[in-house]
Amino acid sequence: MAYTGVMPSARSRGMVREARHLLFTVAPGATWIVIFLVLPSAYLMSVAFMTNGSYGLPELPLSLESFRRLAGFGFLGWSPGNLYTLLRSLWQTLVSTGLVVIVAYPIAYYISTCRAKWRPIMLLLVVVPSWTNQVIRTFGWMNLLAPGTPLSELAEALGLISANMGLYPSNFAVTLGLVYNFLPFMVLPLYAAFEKLDTAQVEAAQDLFASPIRAFWHAVFPQTLPGLLAGIVLVAIPAFGMYVIPELLGGGKGMMLGNLVANQFAGGANWPLGAAGAILMLIATFIGLYAMRRIGRRLGGGEEVVI
Amino acid sequence: MRKRTLKRGLTGFWWFTLAFLYLPLAVVVLFSFNASNSAATFTGISLRWYGRLMGNEEILSAFANSMILAITSSVIALGIGCLIGYGMYRHRHRKLGWLIVLIYLPIVLPDIVFGISEMAFFVQIHRLTGLLQPGLVTMIIAHVTFQIPFVALIVYSRFVGLDPTLFEAAKDLYASPTKRVVHFMLPTIKPALISAFFLSFTLSVDDFVISFFTAGPESATLPIYIWGAIKKGVSPEINAIATLMIGAVAIAAIISLVFSRRRQA
Repeated sequence: MAYTGVMPSARSRGMVREARHLLFTVAPGATWIVIFLVLPSAYLMSVAFMTNGSYGLPELPLSLESFRRLAGFGFLGWSPGNLYTLLRSLWQTLVSTGLVVIVAYPIAYYISTCRAKWRPIMLLLVVVPSWTNQVIRTFGWMNLLAPGTPLSELAEALGLISANMGLYPSNFAVTLGLVYNFLPFMVLPLYAAFEKLDTAQVEAAQDLFASPIRAFWHAVFPQTLPGLLAGIVLVAIPAFGMYVIPELLGGGKGMMLGNLVANQFAGGANWPLGAAGAILMLIATFIGLYAMRRIGRRLGGGEEVVI
Repeated sequence: MRKRTLKRGLTGFWWFTLAFLYLPLAVVVLFSFNASNSAATFTGISLRWYGRLMGNEEILSAFANSMILAITSSVIALGIGCLIGYGMYRHRHRKLGWLIVLIYLPIVLPDIVFGISEMAFFVQIHRLTGLLQPGLVTMIIAHVTFQIPFVALIVYSRFVGLDPTLFEAAKDLYASPTKRVVHFMLPTIKPALISAFFLSFTLSVDDFVISFFTAGPESATLPIYIWGAIKKGVSPEINAIATLMIGAVAIAAIISLVFSRRRQA
């Protein structure tokens, strides 16, 4: 009896020690993230529900004015400017993600068919440009697309743009910049999917006289779907919130939601309006993550869609 | 027959895509050696823009800021992240869902929301208390915040990959926990610590948006300086400084290639 009396106290002492260990290791980092990220974002969200005071800083009373402004209602009645910006962000995200898939799919497949010793080098070649700073890469495109450059003159000769306009600034330049920026993020997960592709399924389909298209659709595509979904998350979510590329390549008519938000904070224009835009971006982010998780689980590849 | 045309088409597409990926960088490098200050026509080779860099105080101080920021934030993040990584491993049988959410938050939050949250927060703290004036300190805080998750996840996965009985053996071998940390834990996770440090360093140097919104007037980093120069109107000096940064990346790429080759061998 004495023995069993000792056991619980020893165990509970052990549990206390374990709990203290957990506290010591995890608390510094958790506290850091709570103070320097959770609190600031909570503050930002609360700003969206305040009134725009003098100097653009938020003031009480609480109101929904900033969301009205985001929807386009201003001092001079309704104007579609903000709504266009929102639609443009959605459109640019969709188009660039689609184009990235179209380019990345054959590239990832091609790399997986090459000799094993070349594959790491090929992947490195795809990834290395994204190691350089985003501002520099975008600056490179500014140089390539400006009026008077060979690419612009070619487009002019083909009648795609009017004289001396140049390909930048334009919405086209923004799409191009987005595709360029996010291509590696799609190639990597797709390559991972192609690398462990079960070729027996493809051979079975061919043996059963499936057309190449049907063989692809039934034997290849489903196997690469988890990689594709992971790639879409990695591309679409940051593309929707992009700031640098539309700011440099888009000009006034190429603005996206990220620029709308940032402009409200630079020079203290209207913090609550900017915060409302940020909330919209957060909602889009979490809907995107949630949807991908759901689809990923339904495909049974829930673990492979790494978020 | 059909297979061969497919393969040939794919090879062509591969080279086309590579050209697409490297063209903007090549243009920057090429025009950094341009003799005239035109951004559209190449007139001859000269090193004058590089000469100008050396005398530009602003660029030198931006470079120093970038280095101070990257090294300080990586060191802090390494300490904090390493602790979390170990805690997550040791207590992986508990329900730590809230911790996982917390750790993934800096990764999934859009850069612009991240940067603006911090900026709004720092501005208000500064107004109320006079502390945390925008500058290198606020930038270091922000960078550590986005580096912690990467360090924690790298260290955690290194621990998961270890044989659990190693921990028992270490317990038998070394009596004191301090000795266990110094002689067993740190040496075993050394590769993870090194790669976590380099990843943190790279993320810091590469970041523009979060730095831009948390920076003060005196704490511009290289990307912020370049951004300002582009906004003011293109100067050929940007090509020169950008080329140097591309060169640094190229060296890093070659080093990583050599390392992966050695691991294969």
